Amino acid sequence: MAGQATVLEDGSRLSQLDQRLLGVERFLALISGLAVFGLMVLAVVSVGGRNAFNAPLPGYVDWIEQAMPLIAFLGISYVQRDGGHIRMDIVISRLQGRALWLFELISVILILVLMMALVWGSWSHFDRSFDLGAPLWSRDSSIDIGVPLWPGKLLVPIAFSVLCLRLSLQVWGYGRAFVLGLETPVSVPMNQDAAAQAAAEAEQFEGQD
Amino acid sequence: AATEWNASVWGKRRAFTEHVEKLAELVSEKTDGEFTINVSYGGLSKPKENLDGIEIGAFEMAQFCAGYHRDKNRAITVLELPFLGVNNLDEEVAVSHAVYDHPAVKDEMAQWNARIIMTSPMPQYNIVGTGEPRDQLADFDGMRVRATGGLGQAFEAVGGVPTSVPATEAYNAMESGVVDTVAFAQHAHLSFGTINDADWWTANLNPGTVNCPVVVNIDAYEALPAEHREVLNSSIDEAIDHYLANYGGLLEQWDSVLDEKGVQKVMIDDAVIEEFRTTAADPIREQWIADMSAQGLPGQDLYDLVQTTLKQQRGGN
Amino acid sequence: MESIEIGLWVTGGLLLLVVTGMRVAFAAALAGLVGLIWIFWAKFGYDPNRFGKALTVAVKTAGQVPHSKVASHTLSLIPTFILIGYLAYYAGLTRALFEAAKRWIAWVPGGLAVSTVFATAGFAAVSGASVATSAVFARIAIPEMLSAGYNKRFAAGVVAAGGTLASLIPPSAILVIYAIIVEQDVGKLLLAGFIPGAFSAVVYGMLIVGIAVVFKSVGPPVTGFTWKQRFAALPGAIPIVAVILIIICFVYNPFGDKAWGTPTEGGAIGAFIVFCFALFHGMRWAEFKSALLETAKLTAMIFSIIWGVLIYVRFLGFADLPGAFSDWITSLEMSPMLILICILLAYAVLGMFMDAIGMLLLTLPVVYPAVMALNGGEAVSAADSAFGMSGPMCAIWFGILVVKMAEFCLITPPIGLNCFVVAGVRPDLSVQDVFRGVTPFFIADGVTIALLVAFPGIVLYLPSLAG
Ligand code: NA
Ligand code: NA
Repeated sequence: MAGQATVLEDGSRLSQLDQRLLGVERFLALISGLAVFGLMVLAVVSVGGRNAFNAPLPGYVDWIEQAMPLIAFLGISYVQRDGGHIRMDIVISRLQGRALWLFELISVILILVLMMALVWGSWSHFDRSFDLGAPLWSRDSSIDIGVPLWPGKLLVPIAFSVLCLRLSLQVWGYGRAFVLGLETPVSVPMNQDAAAQAAAEAEQFEGQD
Repeated sequence: AATEWNASVWGKRRAFTEHVEKLAELVSEKTDGEFTINVSYGGLSKPKENLDGIEIGAFEMAQFCAGYHRDKNRAITVLELPFLGVNNLDEEVAVSHAVYDHPAVKDEMAQWNARIIMTSPMPQYNIVGTGEPRDQLADFDGMRVRATGGLGQAFEAVGGVPTSVPATEAYNAMESGVVDTVAFAQHAHLSFGTINDADWWTANLNPGTVNCPVVVNIDAYEALPAEHREVLNSSIDEAIDHYLANYGGLLEQWDSVLDEKGVQKVMIDDAVIEEFRTTAADPIREQWIADMSAQGLPGQDLYDLVQTTLKQQRGGN
Repeated sequence: MESIEIGLWVTGGLLLLVVTGMRVAFAAALAGLVGLIWIFWAKFGYDPNRFGKALTVAVKTAGQVPHSKVASHTLSLIPTFILIGYLAYYAGLTRALFEAAKRWIAWVPGGLAVSTVFATAGFAAVSGASVATSAVFARIAIPEMLSAGYNKRFAAGVVAAGGTLASLIPPSAILVIYAIIVEQDVGKLLLAGFIPGAFSAVVYGMLIVGIAVVFKSVGPPVTGFTWKQRFAALPGAIPIVAVILIIICFVYNPFGDKAWGTPTEGGAIGAFIVFCFALFHGMRWAEFKSALLETAKLTAMIFSIIWGVLIYVRFLGFADLPGAFSDWITSLEMSPMLILICILLAYAVLGMFMDAIGMLLLTLPVVYPAVMALNGGEAVSAADSAFGMSGPMCAIWFGILVVKMAEFCLITPPIGLNCFVVAGVRPDLSVQDVFRGVTPFFIADGVTIALLVAFPGIVLYLPSLAG
């Protein structure tokens, strides 16, 4: 498990919250993975139905488009927890101590502001497709079989809100590290150099072949 | 003061966007460049979200098709009912604009902060495909066809499976086998390249067409200086005339395009078309009227409006 | 003109954010959002009373992008390709491939290294990600090469370079991303990757044999496998061959008229076959769950970059920067080929510091229209074009060139991710060792790229067969 090694834990309030949120994040990520698997099954059924029974799956394209938000967004906070979103660390890997925590703090605050704005924006995108007075509450539906689009659109602000919680914890974690001048703060991804990170990545493959 | 508008359309410049281009040209000309409209091909929004963009106020003008999202624009989907009986582009303009003037349509569009200024008239859709021509109703069974709105429902009524990738992906979809056939108007078969992959084209299936209005953001429209609004309004007929003339030219050359691409022109038996019509037209129309009425929309009224406008149009000529 | 100025300022700001270590997905989205606010406010003449309105419009415009862009049939290829790679790993396909290649080729000078390259090429046919490929082979192949008396740095370089093949040989997440950005046929692009990928592998192989012949101590031959052993190793490679054949048939069917289906379906069927093998190989819920979680993680990471960058691209659309850049490029008084080479060199420099997907997503919206304009436009015929190929063919050719550049950057210092991964797996090797070992492969890649530029037919032969 590459993730576990990079975020330290202890019995503090912050770390407890971190682990509780991690449980939610892992659950959402698992749903996302299962949705990928579902996509695969859907394609097998579609190809099979078409070729074996001349019975193509109605709304195949519509269903895939419905599944994509599940796949693309639900894991976003899980990745942020371990510091897995790609970045260039050529500058930041040279920093240490308070200077490093300050950089990280500013970075996560900016991301938090961005994501709060996007929760608003993606909620309004959902809201435009949702109408309590309409059949299936739908004011926007897919082309072929008319599946309501609002559930997929609603997933975006939900996933982004979970990410906002995660970012708030990281603001707390980095802020605490900066104020107290900590060396090994809990509940934030530790800044590893690229080689150590690669080692962690390769760890996944150990003993599995 | 100078007014700068953005118009969101998609694909590339083609017969289908000529009226928007012409409108932009006319308003700029008539105001000495004081009022300009930049036409953006896909840079500002995806086609399916053009109405959202209008509601947000991200751009001032946009084009969209009713069948892309029937729940967003239920009232105008009357114009996409199969076998409606529209015979040419002039009639298409007349019925579209009559429907756009109906209060129910205006109300629904106002929910999107949108006001329809003109239609993008298109001839009857016909399908292209590869291999043996599909000229019997039985051939439509299990056929995956890119056909939106009422057209999709019509093919569904005879066993087809509507599979609607975006227009810009229609060529890929056909070539890679996501769909077996694509229903488009002539200009789109040309512009999106489906004619290049086709072995045959149905010349007379004529099951109906798609309705794609051009809208403006109401706030932006009302904020226009009076003289600019006047210029915009007065240029619409000219823009449509230009569109019709341009499309007419395209239709005249169509047969030579088919020859050049080696596409077989398939004439379908009247009996087959009649069977298609009886299976698809009446049930779909009745269902549509019932659905609309259940949602508090004047379905019957809108349908009657189409028919009376058609009669008037024919009587007047 | 003003909007282009805003475009340039915001782009500068984005680079600053990226260099100072903000996660690329969020840096791009933030730059895009700020840019949109700026553009809309400028439209309101910077009226303080209307800032709130500009903010609202910008936030709602940006907020549409994630769902709007991600809910796409074509993009569904990416998670499928990622899943295949993880399942293939659990099915034990990697070791089986290497074993087969070893028994057949190890007897030539440098033969174990050549086996490694061919096995990575085979694994590339089920894996969409280069870094993972290098990590796997660093474990399997390096120990065997060392015990056969191979030079340590050389062995490390072979594995780091071999891993880069995974993004050229389909399935390839990065080729799908290219196809999405430039709105071209995914199937044809995937098909186009086959020959250049195999070609790169052959160039690597020849280079290895050359080095091993000249410097005898670097990679001695390994002999002693019987024909019986050789044939016994082949069945392990069958799933890979099956997956390759299926994906080909779903993209372009060499045996008949019509492809069997879409690339998406081909990918999914491939994943299903590999899934069955993994079950057969002993994969159970625990392993399956980790495969799913790893897939979810990589998918979420890639999609965050996609929608983040597309918010920035939406802003570019409002600022009309791509149009302006394209006009500028075509107005230059240089030969188109020279401009293209400059663009590729710029990618080489950029790629020293950036990750491949981020680099493509950030640059292509601006660079791609310029390259197409250089060739004579999207609809140009081969006869009228600058590079002697039609618009769609140029899009494919440029895509393969750019992806090869991005792969090249995985082994160049200072940020060559594959080299870090290999050094990370092997505690006895420093990053410098790996970079030194991989140096000959720069030359091989340089030669490959030059040949792909000079003879576009290598890239375009297969896609042109597909019509
Ligand atoms: Na690959
Ligand atoms: Na590099």
